[in-house]
Amino acid sequence: MRRIETEAIVIGGGATGAGTLRDLSLRGVRAVLIEKSDIASGTTGRNHGLLHSGARYAVNDLESARECISENRILKKIARHCIEDTGGLFVTLPEDDPSYHGKLIEHCRYAGIRCEEIGVREALRMEPNLNPEILSALRVPDGTIDPFRLTSANVLDAQERGASVFTHTEVEEILRDGDRAAGVRCRDRLTGEKIEIYAGIIVNASGVWGQRLSASAGIELRMFPSKGSMLIIDYRINNKVVNRCRVPSDGDIIVPGDTVSLIGTTSKKVDYDRIDEITVDDDEIATLLESGEKLIPSVSRARVLRAYCGVRPLIAVSGEMDGREISRGIVLIDHEKRDAVGGLITIAGGKLMTYRLMAEMAADLACAKLKAGKKCRTHRTPLPGSERRVDQARSVKFFTGIPNSVVGSTLYRHGHRIRNILHREKRNYGLICECEMVTEGEIEYALKKLNVRDIVDLRRRTRIGMGPCQGQLCAYRAAGLFVKYDSATSDESNKMLVDFLEERWKGIKPVLWGDALREVEFGYWIYQGLFGLGDVRFEEEAEKR
Amino acid sequence: MRYDCVIIGGGLSGLTCGIRLAETGASVAVISTGMSALHFSSGSIDLFGYNGEGRTVYRPFEFLDEFVGSNPRHPYALCGARQVREALFYFRGQLDLEGIELYNNDESNHFHVTTLGTLKPTFFSQRSVFNEKIRLAFEKKSMIAALNFEGYRDFYPELAVINLRRNVLFRNIEIITGKIVYPDYGDPQRNPFEYRSVDIARIFDTERYLEELAVQIRNAASGAAFAAMPAFLGISNFKRHHKLLQELTGLLIYEIPTLPPSILGMRIDNALKSRFASLGGVYIAGDTVTGGSISGERLESVVTENGGGSALSAGSFVLATGSFFSGGLVSEFSRVREPVLDLKVYSDAERSRWYAPEFFPRRGHPFLEYGVETDERLNPKTGDGRRVKNLYCTGALLPYYNPIKEGSGGGVAVSTGYRAAELILEGNS
Repeated sequence: MRRIETEAIVIGGGATGAGTLRDLSLRGVRAVLIEKSDIASGTTGRNHGLLHSGARYAVNDLESARECISENRILKKIARHCIEDTGGLFVTLPEDDPSYHGKLIEHCRYAGIRCEEIGVREALRMEPNLNPEILSALRVPDGTIDPFRLTSANVLDAQERGASVFTHTEVEEILRDGDRAAGVRCRDRLTGEKIEIYAGIIVNASGVWGQRLSASAGIELRMFPSKGSMLIIDYRINNKVVNRCRVPSDGDIIVPGDTVSLIGTTSKKVDYDRIDEITVDDDEIATLLESGEKLIPSVSRARVLRAYCGVRPLIAVSGEMDGREISRGIVLIDHEKRDAVGGLITIAGGKLMTYRLMAEMAADLACAKLKAGKKCRTHRTPLPGSERRVDQARSVKFFTGIPNSVVGSTLYRHGHRIRNILHREKRNYGLICECEMVTEGEIEYALKKLNVRDIVDLRRRTRIGMGPCQGQLCAYRAAGLFVKYDSATSDESNKMLVDFLEERWKGIKPVLWGDALREVEFGYWIYQGLFGLGDVRFEEEAEKR
Repeated sequence: MRYDCVIIGGGLSGLTCGIRLAETGASVAVISTGMSALHFSSGSIDLFGYNGEGRTVYRPFEFLDEFVGSNPRHPYALCGARQVREALFYFRGQLDLEGIELYNNDESNHFHVTTLGTLKPTFFSQRSVFNEKIRLAFEKKSMIAALNFEGYRDFYPELAVINLRRNVLFRNIEIITGKIVYPDYGDPQRNPFEYRSVDIARIFDTERYLEELAVQIRNAASGAAFAAMPAFLGISNFKRHHKLLQELTGLLIYEIPTLPPSILGMRIDNALKSRFASLGGVYIAGDTVTGGSISGERLESVVTENGGGSALSAGSFVLATGSFFSGGLVSEFSRVREPVLDLKVYSDAERSRWYAPEFFPRRGHPFLEYGVETDERLNPKTGDGRRVKNLYCTGALLPYYNPIKEGSGGGVAVSTGYRAAELILEGNS
């Protein structure tokens, strides 16, 4: 068994865990991150990627609104390559209560969110696909944020500052030393290797999965999971975030993101036992399409690429069981005080928007307990890729000879780090994924630097297979590159190809009609008809990575 | 314009039908929207590869004799086992005339190697994919070199070799991999790391590169008896250049299908089109039939997107528009329909039953078995239940068979296309 000693352990590779790892690393604390799957594979990567202005919360939850706008401003500085400063609109439809409009303006003022009334004509000029029947429109500083890129950049920065990261590694047990949590025993799910890690402090940032984890240390932590479903539309049908100006409800937002648009969101309670197997239901799809169409009528003609859902991690603060004390805000728990278990803290609740603030709170407490570490610097230290503002025209010139579209896409995804990725060498900029303009060089970089262990991970780092074809050709190419760059054996590559296609299938199934079905028939024809991938017999578990 | 027969769809099925009809002197037009599914195929013609339990079928005609009796709605049953055989050997004869020799293992299936090194039972393969010499060298346990161009994205020998090595048939056969590099070729603006099979086929079609390539292949094969190469060894000059390459290298060079576009399929596509044209057939490319006028039990004419409103009329029509992928079937949120004439379709009303929970299911995906219902004469019904007696449906448009699960796609396309032609000829005489 491998044994590691460090100062801090962070459990959970979502935005909060990654942010905490980075925060600790910036303060000079040695830390190790453990994630049971891939980074940003849980709740973090399963939302609509909205850079909230806070306006959505202003009327009901002023505190959240204030946190959002404050973090919104910080993220625009430190994570600019993960963000598109699109701006957002709140539009009132003829059937909506017109008084919400005035209420929203008033509460945005309380929260310090810039919210201005613009004319309907102006709104339609900005967003020509918008429903022309709208009664009024407000402009707010909403934007979009790529949660995969954001989390990956946090992890990368931490690793560059000395932190270690174990993905696809599950904590099996929190190891106790008397009344203290002294470390964790974990297992690499791909190789089966067991690892014991000991540290002065353990930060539980595992979100909704924290209930199970805490139970292993004899601590009760009650989660109230709520499912949110979203649809991805094949085209970018809007350039600004479009919100419906009414009391928060299902299907009231359309967010542009990279080459697509997303319709969000629903809200359904789910049993805790089912959090790993939730799927999008047909009635949710109908609701989202219907409401989306009201905001932007062309939704009805667009192709739906996929449907997916995430679990919101709502947590019971005081351990009460009837759910009345559920908090939607940030929850920081010192288990020494609450449960008389030293060396363990939990950071939970909150939202993607407040990940940095949550990380700061967790790291503050961790450092206080360790009696080590400097002050938090995450609010003013840019993430890798956002070190400097990069000018597209200058980059295109710098990389003369490489197609502009390739330079543009690489820059969009990796910001300033484009210089670590692109070279004027034909192998480097040869395209592997044509839908999303992912080059061999970008894949090589991701394999070597970004904790990629399978094709699904690779998709989160590069957008490979996220476009209209959902990975028909590039999945096989990627599998080949894993072997070429020594990141997997041939057998593992074949296996990860199956896993990747099965993972894509999960999101396509619920929307299997029209062009999605055509695309699936094509993909199945290739991978089963032509390749016989479903007939491959893999070596026993023993030959694992 | 009036034709004896208008065929909607220019794929394997439509062209087989067109050739058979044109051969008798009939005036035939084929209308094709775009690339046929042959461009995405293995280039081998499957007849029947797997039985209901997923076990390999070794003698497909023997199997069919019994199968059609218990599966009366299956397209093969509509053709009859005898006519399936007739159709396949007719098809082979037609390709032979165009210089494409198909190998068949007498009455038995043989196996072709897939892109991932799995083996699939099939009935006809191009001789560069399988032939007696390959069989012999194989039986002698000769060494195989799997070769590829450095930087070709659409084939990775390493991913195939691991699966081949695991196969009993390849036990004790040494398989090595090797790389060759592109000759100094073509357009400096193009990135050779983005070449597709068609780009490389052009290199092999150009005679002056052959010697250089032969030297490279021989060196990379380092003593093997055969070289397995991705199927990109040319289209227009393939036959001659393949022979030349084998002579120059002293190797048996055979081909393995790649990611699309499928050069093996394109060779067949070109041969069928060429044969059809030489018989006087009219091939209308890049146009789509959008509707037709039915009066009584007859389809009188069809209109096309680019036809400017003028109708194409004919004595009989063949609908060979393929399945969903080719646009022959269209699915909506809660129904499946046939887009040209809104013919009666077999499908499931419940969308959740269209597909299996896994992407690679044991039982196959139900949607692959949907299609336009016909009677035993391949005549469909309109949505309101009227039979259309001069319209014949063929190929992947037909329901009640699963081309992938059965390994029967090519055979059904060829035999139903041929069957439709025979029915039309019968009706005329």
